[in-house]
Amino acid sequence: MSDASTSDTMIEVVDLHKHFKDLHVLRGINMVVKRSEVVAIMGPSGGGKSTFLRCLNRLEEPSSGHIYIEGVDVMAPYIDINKVRTEIGMVFQSFNLFPHLTAIDNIKLAPMHVRRINEKEAQERAMALLEKVGVADKADAYPEQLSGGQQQRVAIARALAMQPQIMFFDEPTSALDPEMIGEVLDVMRTMATEGMTMMVVSHEMGFIREAASRVLFLADGLIVEEGTPDQIFNDSQAKRTQDFLSKIL
Amino acid sequence: MKPASAPTDIEKKFLLSHPEWFKLVRQPLFVAVTFLVLAAFAVFLLPEKQSASPAWLYTAVVIFILLLLAWSGNVLADRGKPEILKMGVSLLLIAVLCWLFYRYSGAEWERLREFFFNFEKLKGSWWYLRNGLGVTLFLALISAVGSVLIGLIVASLRSYNSRTLNLFLKAYVDIFRSIPMIVIMVVLFFALPYAGISLGSILTTIVALSLGYGAYASESFRAGIEAVHSGQIEAARSLGLSRVQTIRMIILPQAIPVVVPPLTGNLVAMLKDTAVASVVAAPELLKKARELYTSKTNPTSLVAAAMIYLIVLIPLVRIVNMLEKRLKKESK
Repeated sequence: MSDASTSDTMIEVVDLHKHFKDLHVLRGINMVVKRSEVVAIMGPSGGGKSTFLRCLNRLEEPSSGHIYIEGVDVMAPYIDINKVRTEIGMVFQSFNLFPHLTAIDNIKLAPMHVRRINEKEAQERAMALLEKVGVADKADAYPEQLSGGQQQRVAIARALAMQPQIMFFDEPTSALDPEMIGEVLDVMRTMATEGMTMMVVSHEMGFIREAASRVLFLADGLIVEEGTPDQIFNDSQAKRTQDFLSKIL
Repeated sequence: MKPASAPTDIEKKFLLSHPEWFKLVRQPLFVAVTFLVLAAFAVFLLPEKQSASPAWLYTAVVIFILLLLAWSGNVLADRGKPEILKMGVSLLLIAVLCWLFYRYSGAEWERLREFFFNFEKLKGSWWYLRNGLGVTLFLALISAVGSVLIGLIVASLRSYNSRTLNLFLKAYVDIFRSIPMIVIMVVLFFALPYAGISLGSILTTIVALSLGYGAYASESFRAGIEAVHSGQIEAARSLGLSRVQTIRMIILPQAIPVVVPPLTGNLVAMLKDTAVASVVAAPELLKKARELYTSKTNPTSLVAAAMIYLIVLIPLVRIVNMLEKRLKKESK
């Protein structure tokens, strides 16, 4: 899978299935994401969007199928999944900052203990990232002292601190007050223009239209339709997609 | 308290609807007069124990106690009375009940004192009890460390959610939580030697307390670990932290504040349970007290031991309480 012609392929998923007991959540997903692509995943709740994303870095164990990250089969028994995860930053709906650590310590933790870089360098890198997401003045604040938007931006900085090749966003703005959604999307937009490979579960139409190179419409455990934002929003071929879009627009 | 002018219709809706006699009962004058009546009852009507017929005696005492309770209840239940008065009434009530008990119970106070509070007999033997206390504290300290370590390890292993491992860990926890400490100790001390393992009384106590209270501690730790939001673990794992790193750097720092109050509570209970070690002849406080009981043929040493336990444990219990309050405040 890693010959020259596919070296631009960051993620490849082949026939991915996931069962929760007798619930068949993912029913055979096939997908390719190329370097610097921003792929938005849309679909009704319960359709398997989050599960799909979480299977890709094996936070959820897939039931069958293959996942290749940068050409490497991450389901193979000899693969250390922790090392794979360092290449994939993940941002959650509920931020999940560590409440016992300050903003900057949240960011420094993984670089220091997983990448084993020294404290001084981690500190500098963390400050630069806080600067980038616009919360440098809150470096020493604890998560509970931050607004939702600030927390989510710190969470993005924490993921970026590992210098990942890929970023996953699982409904990053769904838990935010409306006036804070913009500041988070701004950060994500910047990352997209900088060429980060991103997979974003979101229904922020404006952001998707502007930043996404492709939209996957996921329903009932299958990719029902995929295409550019324009194709999906204005010229959808699948009835399922049209129904859904008519409800959220 | 009464409204200055006649109550409006709205006010009438919310007025206290006590009957007239009830208002009278709460007047200070009424309280004072009834107090004098009660005092007169106590002085003139309560019969001497020997001089009266039992029937009259019981009737008089019961009526007096009921009146006393009614009177103090009337004061204590009144929100308008000052707190200092209520405190005085409470103390008075306790004092009067004690006096009644002293006067009518028929206890042989002199013999009671001679048997159980004969501290002259302990003269020159206090060092013996002090040594016992030293051993008790030593046993408690080592077993505390042991049980916390066992609890921590068992709870951490259980957080891996391995089905096979959990089966064995659960078996350990359930078994040791269901067997009384005294049985654990006796089995370890008297049965194990037949299996070729002879631990001696001190080591038996430490092993038994560590295993027994380790089971409790593991449950406390588990509750703390489960209180940590699952998103925390996902966030840690998605950053590439290993399981051990996640437990050490993310879960435990959040779980420990939750765990400290129940854990310290357990340790206080364990300190008390060191007394059980006297059945396997560990030379701790209770054992020493029982030895003195035999050698002096007087149980005052047991009362002394009880007092020593009190002196050590009351401050500990208070500290646990304070810790609990502090942690609650911090977590807010």
